[in-house]
Amino acid sequence: MATTLTNFNRAPLHWFAPVTRVRALTLLAAALVWEGVARSGWLYEGVVPPLTAVARAFVVLLVTGDTYHHLAVTAWEVAAGFGIGLVAGIAFGILMGARPFFGRAMAPYVDGLATAPKIIFLPIVMLLFGVGITSKIALGALSAFFPVTLNTAAGMHGISPVLIRVGRSFRLSRAQMVRMIYLPALRGSIIVSMRLGLGVAIIGVLLAEIKLADRGLGFLAIDHYNQFRIPDMYALLLFIFILAIGANVLIGRLSPRR
Amino acid sequence: MPGALVVENISKRFATSAGALAALEGVSLAVPQGRFVSIIGPSGCGKSTLFGVVGGLVPDYEGRVLIDGAPVHGTHDDIGMVFQEESTFPWLTVLENIMFPLDARGMARNECRERAERLVHLVGLDGFGNSYPAELSGGMRQRTAIARTLAAEPKILLMDEPFAALDEQTRLLLGDKLLQIWRELAQTTLLITHSITEAVQLSDEVVVMTYRPGRIKRVIPIDLPRPRSSEIVESAAFGRLVGTIWHDLREEALRGLAQTEPQGVSH
Repeated sequence: MATTLTNFNRAPLHWFAPVTRVRALTLLAAALVWEGVARSGWLYEGVVPPLTAVARAFVVLLVTGDTYHHLAVTAWEVAAGFGIGLVAGIAFGILMGARPFFGRAMAPYVDGLATAPKIIFLPIVMLLFGVGITSKIALGALSAFFPVTLNTAAGMHGISPVLIRVGRSFRLSRAQMVRMIYLPALRGSIIVSMRLGLGVAIIGVLLAEIKLADRGLGFLAIDHYNQFRIPDMYALLLFIFILAIGANVLIGRLSPRR
Repeated sequence: MPGALVVENISKRFATSAGALAALEGVSLAVPQGRFVSIIGPSGCGKSTLFGVVGGLVPDYEGRVLIDGAPVHGTHDDIGMVFQEESTFPWLTVLENIMFPLDARGMARNECRERAERLVHLVGLDGFGNSYPAELSGGMRQRTAIARTLAAEPKILLMDEPFAALDEQTRLLLGDKLLQIWRELAQTTLLITHSITEAVQLSDEVVVMTYRPGRIKRVIPIDLPRPRSSEIVESAAFGRLVGTIWHDLREEALRGLAQTEPQGVSH
């Protein structure tokens, strides 16, 4: 999914190209349907607010300093959680690949936990780290850890065994083996890990913030909802959506060479 | 600073699902200082196992490996290995590949670079120092791997079918290059090969191995004059030596074929 997203973002298209026109029309049609529903009175007032109200809320959101305070909190939680999950996942993945027995022993647990929704760990994480920023970082790290581990371990299997033998014949230390052979050979796998890991770290952090927090974008969204400030909520969701796409594009720029 | 290699009564067994498999049995051979010796044998004679044992990558064997009279265990700075498979690091340039063992030893950057540049010239890759392996031919990549091994300045050069993946013509020409390097460095060399032409073209001595378990069948001195070039393949003496070796090898290759064929079909 990430690939298609980046691919069409990169495609150099003119405004008048047929596909661009269809895309613009789709957006316009969606906006018209939205506006129609909003004015029809079919739904309880406020569930689908008029677009003008959302647009106004969006502008207010952009010029309010408080937004950026919450954004900074969330960005820090995502960055720290993703960073911890990435480093731990790469280390564990390398260990699983370099020690096949250990890898085989751990595989069912890693595979099992990787597919489990990480939100089930939220109560434990809250008990351990409290309701503040640390628990959000922990859930982000936990979310990023598994896809990174799986990708790194798979990448380890892809390394040609002869390269390891070259390293051994040159009598590399364990640390040199990691720095001079494993990490450069894993470059492609690590970039894929980063894309997947960042995505799930953002999800983990926002989920935790929505559940129980007093700051951050997730908290802000659920706070708007609770106070029934629906246009503000939609404006914020749009804001988060744009940020998530931006983060994805940035990671997509790191493409595996060679 | 070449050294002498002695392999003393090496035996190696592998545990398989069908019981213990004797890969090597009582293999002894000597490569005197500065000499070029080739080991030739049919597939499955354990010659790659011997390569692993001498290089220290295969553990748990009987017998001894000695360098300049001193027994060694495991990997050793005095032994440089060149592998059969594609072994250059694809993320490093030719020059960086050659600098690899020197970087690992923490040699000063510019000294390291100087030595690598000399080796680029020695293996005939001038102008390709900054190319990546993917931009080179298989023969050039294998020359990079040889230069990388030589960069560590081992006393003994150990090669496992380094040209196996290349075509016959490239192989003959690379043989010339290898001989030129060998003359220049006077490097003690042990080459594992399955090509009779290659063994005769390059060596002072050819050791023929038997099919499983691998034993030494015969040692054939190659008394062709040096310096040699690949043109030597035209000479009658060359033909006679190839014939002699093939006579010995044919028996073993047939034995190997007879034992592997039925399994080969059922697989």
